[in-house]
Amino acid sequence: MSIAVELLRAVERVAAENDAVAVDRIELEVGVMRMIVPEALRMAWSVAAEGTLAEGAELAVTEVPLKGRCRDCGTEFAPGIDTYLCPGCEKADVEIVEGNDILLRSVVCRGADEEGAEGS
Amino acid sequence: MKINVVKSVLDASDAIAAENRKQMDGAGLLCINLLSAPGSGKTTLLQATIPRLGGGASSAVLVGDLQTTRDAERLGPVAAQVTQINTGRGCHLSPEQVAEGLRGLDLSAIEYLFIENVGNMVCPAAFDLGEHHRAALLSVPEGDDKVAKYPTLFQGASVILLTKADLIGVLDFDIGRVEADLSKTNTGAPLIHLSSKTGEGMDAWLAWLREAKAAHGAG
Repeated sequence: MSIAVELLRAVERVAAENDAVAVDRIELEVGVMRMIVPEALRMAWSVAAEGTLAEGAELAVTEVPLKGRCRDCGTEFAPGIDTYLCPGCEKADVEIVEGNDILLRSVVCRGADEEGAEGS
Repeated sequence: MKINVVKSVLDASDAIAAENRKQMDGAGLLCINLLSAPGSGKTTLLQATIPRLGGGASSAVLVGDLQTTRDAERLGPVAAQVTQINTGRGCHLSPEQVAEGLRGLDLSAIEYLFIENVGNMVCPAAFDLGEHHRAALLSVPEGDDKVAKYPTLFQGASVILLTKADLIGVLDFDIGRVEADLSKTNTGAPLIHLSSKTGEGMDAWLAWLREAKAAHGAG
């Protein structure tokens, strides 16, 4: 829920900067390390967005897989969520370099002149 | 219209965590975030740890729970400063709550700050609070399968504490299984067998804390 609220703040900022009056769709990239269940986030989002200009906006979530760098030998690789073994040195001492972010990628919104029109 | 942006949704949260870290660095203290399931012995461990840190080391605790001040009451007699944070419905501490907690502490008088996170093996692992290290606790009664079941909690830890270790041999607990799972999850963190009850492993844990403090001060 706290993530949905943060997301709403970010979306509202983007909408305000672009003089939008309504938001139709949001594209979000979620790193698997954040342990977000897309369905749960969508549910929280629909509650958070209620009564705002983003109410009813579709939330498209893409999961970003993990990428790690071995602290021992520097090899970059894609760990599984349950195994962090480095293919270079067989150790499991990994710094996560991707898959730890929640990124807002795009916002489809309508300006005052497009009011009532369907977003594309 | 479609507006393309690349914006981290947790920017604000991460920025507060970074600010917390900066503030603690400025005060020269070491901050350890304790993560584990409820009932794994975080409070008991701190009750045993803080008096033994000795050497004039002054410790403070920020303790997070949904409700009650029971943990703060237990820690009050041992720690120089204790603040209870009640998260209400929140399943983890947030960097904002830690920032608020820091405002109530005299940081210049603290050498070690322990953050006792809300007992939960999932959400706390996803939130940086500004700590310098994470300590993951696994208690023997929880079972030997928890590292495999909750790998992200253990993957990000600097030290792993097997608590209630006096129950190995009493309960059906295969330490080999924990070690095998850790060999795939985190080989950088030491695994310390601990019993706050018998004192087993306390020296190793205290040595780890002192080394981390010294390394942090040097850095």
